[in-house]
Amino acid sequence: MNTSKLASLITLTALCIAIQLAPRPPNVEFTSFITFIVGLTQGTIMGALFGAFVMFVNGFLSPWGFSGLNMPFQMVGMAIVGFSGGIYRKFTHNELKPTQFCLETAILGGFIALIYDIITNIGVGIQFILSGTPPMLAIFSALAYGAFFSAVHVSSNSIVFGVLFVPFMKILNGLKIGETSWLKKEPLYS
Amino acid sequence: MVEKRTLIFVTLAVVVWASLASVFAGYYYLQFENSSKQLEEAQNSLSKSASSYDKATNKYNTLLGEYAELYGNYSYYTGDNYTEFLKPFKKLIDKLAENYATLLLTHEDLNKTYLELLGKYETLNQQNNVTKQEFENLLNRYYNLFSLLALKELEKAISESVKLSVNICINYSDRIEWYNETQVPAGTTLFEATKKIANITYTYYPLLEPGHILIDSINEKAAYTDPSYTCGYSWIWYYWDESNGRWVVGPVGCDAWHLRDGGIYKWNYEKWTWP
Repeated sequence: MNTSKLASLITLTALCIAIQLAPRPPNVEFTSFITFIVGLTQGTIMGALFGAFVMFVNGFLSPWGFSGLNMPFQMVGMAIVGFSGGIYRKFTHNELKPTQFCLETAILGGFIALIYDIITNIGVGIQFILSGTPPMLAIFSALAYGAFFSAVHVSSNSIVFGVLFVPFMKILNGLKIGETSWLKKEPLYS
Repeated sequence: MVEKRTLIFVTLAVVVWASLASVFAGYYYLQFENSSKQLEEAQNSLSKSASSYDKATNKYNTLLGEYAELYGNYSYYTGDNYTEFLKPFKKLIDKLAENYATLLLTHEDLNKTYLELLGKYETLNQQNNVTKQEFENLLNRYYNLFSLLALKELEKAISESVKLSVNICINYSDRIEWYNETQVPAGTTLFEATKKIANITYTYYPLLEPGHILIDSINEKAAYTDPSYTCGYSWIWYYWDESNGRWVVGPVGCDAWHLRDGGIYKWNYEKWTWP
């Protein structure tokens, strides 16, 4: 990994954690978007590691308190987000119309949020199991009681992805450091 | 022909929508289950209350009938010696104790009143001549205790389904403690609620009415009377009058004052002087 790549990763990590720790409504976040972008620009492995690392730090510093047993689930959830970014890079091309691309990324944002919520809610369900609730009921209750939060998360993520993706792609295309990594093959969507 | 890429994203969108719809359905199902369970519990508790209420009123009516019979006989009696009424009166007391045994066992204040009444009866029973005034006093004491016990029994029936939330303040003069949203069953007196939240000592005064109890100490802070009897410190209770926005001094003994839901009460450690 060269110095400029490392610097950009560190900057994004700091940005991501700062936004994650800033006061905000529950389940409205930019972490998955940034993690997805890291996966898109740096590849699947780097995206997954980035996502897991951000959630690891967030687990200790979050204004909602220490994540505890749910931390590994959050790390896995966000690693999947970063990983998906790397996969999506292989399918981005310039032939799509801007509206279609925005719609696509919005759906992707919602889907990613859903997967993340299912994983973390299962984590909550496991805590219920440990406190004596029957397994099926515990998982079912955790998923059901997280419905409102999931709805907020999916909607907000769809909006964030749908609105920010295209401008971000343009910025990344214009960055000189991209020439050594994400712009090696073809430019990102522009 | 629909493009493969579009199809994938439409599928993803449907998956997101279906999953969210499913978890919402699950949420409402769980809420429905919980509400049904709570409703069933509430209905059971109401049925229990209704059944207890029936028993309590039956008991009350039977005892009241027997009391009325004795009272009628006493009212129409023209003689000077009322000794002959002591025997049926004893029967009445025994029945009272038998019917309200649990209450007398659990409520120290009521038990003391009952023992006082029994003592009065025993004293009169030793005498050869019982005047009208003496017997009337005895009957009145009996009726007061009977009414209190019946009221308690009815409150107990209600308390099976109704809980109250009260706020109690204890002002020690050098510090104040608040016991907010203290949960107590309906029918609880201030004395019982205070016993629940603090360590208290008290004295029972048979002649005080209504309510026979004066608090001697709360959480080790004891009332004090100067040997000259001209000044001292006592625990005085107040209730918050919401309509006038002020504290009102308790008009009866704390064991006779029934708490209301959302009521605010205060124990004040106060200095007094005499005269």
